[in-house]
Amino acid sequence: MMLRSLRLPLLVSTLLAPLWTGAATLKINGSTTVNLPVAEAAEMLRAEQKMDIQVDTQGGSSGGISALGDGLVQIGMASKHLSDADRAKYPKVSFKEIHIGEDAVALVVSRDVWESGLRALTKEQVRDIYEGRVKNWKQVGGPDRRIAFFNKEPGRGTWEVFVHWLYGDPKKAPQVSLPEVGGNEESRNKVASTKGAVSQLSSSWANGKTVFALALKSEAGEAIEPTTENIATHKYPMSRPLFLLTNGEARDEAKVFVDFVLSERGQALVKKHGYLALEQLKK
Amino acid sequence: MSIAGWKRRATPTLLFSFGFSAVAVLFLLMMLVLFLWQSIPVWRHEGFGYLFGKQWFYRGQQFGALPMIYGTVVVAALALVMAALVGIGTAIFIAEFLPSRARLIVKIMVELLSGIPSVVYGLLGVLFLRNWVYAALAHFDPLSGDTLLTAALLLAVMILPTIMTLTDDALRGVPSAQRTAARGLGLTHTETILSVTLPQAAPGVLSAVLLGLGRALGETIAVFLVVGRQDNQWPSNLLSLRPLIESGQTLTSKLGGSETHIAYGDPLHWAAIVGLGLILLALTVAVTMTGIRLGTRKASDA
Repeated sequence: MMLRSLRLPLLVSTLLAPLWTGAATLKINGSTTVNLPVAEAAEMLRAEQKMDIQVDTQGGSSGGISALGDGLVQIGMASKHLSDADRAKYPKVSFKEIHIGEDAVALVVSRDVWESGLRALTKEQVRDIYEGRVKNWKQVGGPDRRIAFFNKEPGRGTWEVFVHWLYGDPKKAPQVSLPEVGGNEESRNKVASTKGAVSQLSSSWANGKTVFALALKSEAGEAIEPTTENIATHKYPMSRPLFLLTNGEARDEAKVFVDFVLSERGQALVKKHGYLALEQLKK
Repeated sequence: MSIAGWKRRATPTLLFSFGFSAVAVLFLLMMLVLFLWQSIPVWRHEGFGYLFGKQWFYRGQQFGALPMIYGTVVVAALALVMAALVGIGTAIFIAEFLPSRARLIVKIMVELLSGIPSVVYGLLGVLFLRNWVYAALAHFDPLSGDTLLTAALLLAVMILPTIMTLTDDALRGVPSAQRTAARGLGLTHTETILSVTLPQAAPGVLSAVLLGLGRALGETIAVFLVVGRQDNQWPSNLLSLRPLIESGQTLTSKLGGSETHIAYGDPLHWAAIVGLGLILLALTVAVTMTGIRLGTRKASDA
């Protein structure tokens, strides 16, 4: 009642599920970024193969990892590489990363900032904003308005990729006290409806209508946008892989699902949602 | 009652009802023991600093819960003031002025409000309320629409039915002979309400308000979505109103966040998270018990 942790409902439903379902349900949980193509693939398999699939996005990537580690789901979704710390938490589980596509983390800003003409930031500027040394957009070439930084909550793949880029290691990230946001919908909604807002967001969610992706300025002064090409070649620094996670080799329903996502139709879904399919990376 | 008395009364009804109450009590005790036991590492690590520390930074193993306790108390208290004013006002109207059929209809409609899942309130909050608050406060230049005030407004709507319906019950519990007598003495309708009905119903009204407060303290999802979830927000001036229009963190929004996933597997961090649950449990139990005590005192007075 009091501790409405997100883990609890999952645990309870997993414990009780065998009581009323005969067939095994394929349970999937994790990153809201990976969720888009996965949920649609699940929809197709439900219709075509009558599979019983349940897709959740509780807790983002770290939620997916812990749910798989606890054996609550058969497949986890993550928008970042598993760290050694993640693996160390579940020594009995042999996590397997199945690469299904590529994405990037963009810094998105609200319309008023974009319309002021601000198009790119350097790494130093982003660090100053994140750590609160720069509090007004004017200081980095934007409008005269306070900066409202919506920080993606720690544990989210997006956040880890961001601090990995800034500090080299999430453990080295300094203490900041910023308002936090969770899933991609929440981040986009809050940036879009707040003046002077900025947040880290999956680049495919930067729609260019309500939220706008900034380019990152390299040390040579070149502004690198999170375009398909720049992500594929890893020129854009905050590119990241998208994974399905399994415990050992995928079996039964899980294998059917993984194979489907890696098939041509599954990869088409990855592309459809604005991410890079595997074949685009080979170039 | 003597043991012999218990034996004589040991009917199946007694045994069953005893069994069920025992289960309920056992659950609470088990939760308390579990929370205490699991939170031991953080009490060892921080001591009372856990309750009074103003810094929470898990990567640096600093765990001070005070800003979250502050957030919870401010949000709940603010919600309570708003909900109590409206709720008691509504209750007086429907208990004292409406004919009984209309009273039932209005009461049922307000009570339906309490059946709406809190995540729905939360989504309405994200879609509308935070934007309205942001626009309404534009003059004061808040950083965003996620503020303690937004959360309090949302909570006020959520606890309104509890306060309204229990206050109405308390008012209806005052015997109508008292009202008739008061009117017979020449008091107006308003005077009767203010100096006869309300004072008589006061303990019931108070317990209605406290039960509403209990719900406000424990509400998670709706608050989570609009409070901003900003750590370590401790106001430099406790009397200033400025912190109300800034983002904050409550005990429940912290528990609902991603840190519970990260904490799992790290005994100290996990203990700190469980400790927040313990603090919340203690707050809620204290408020609810007070509410129940005030409510029963009214029954024994009558």
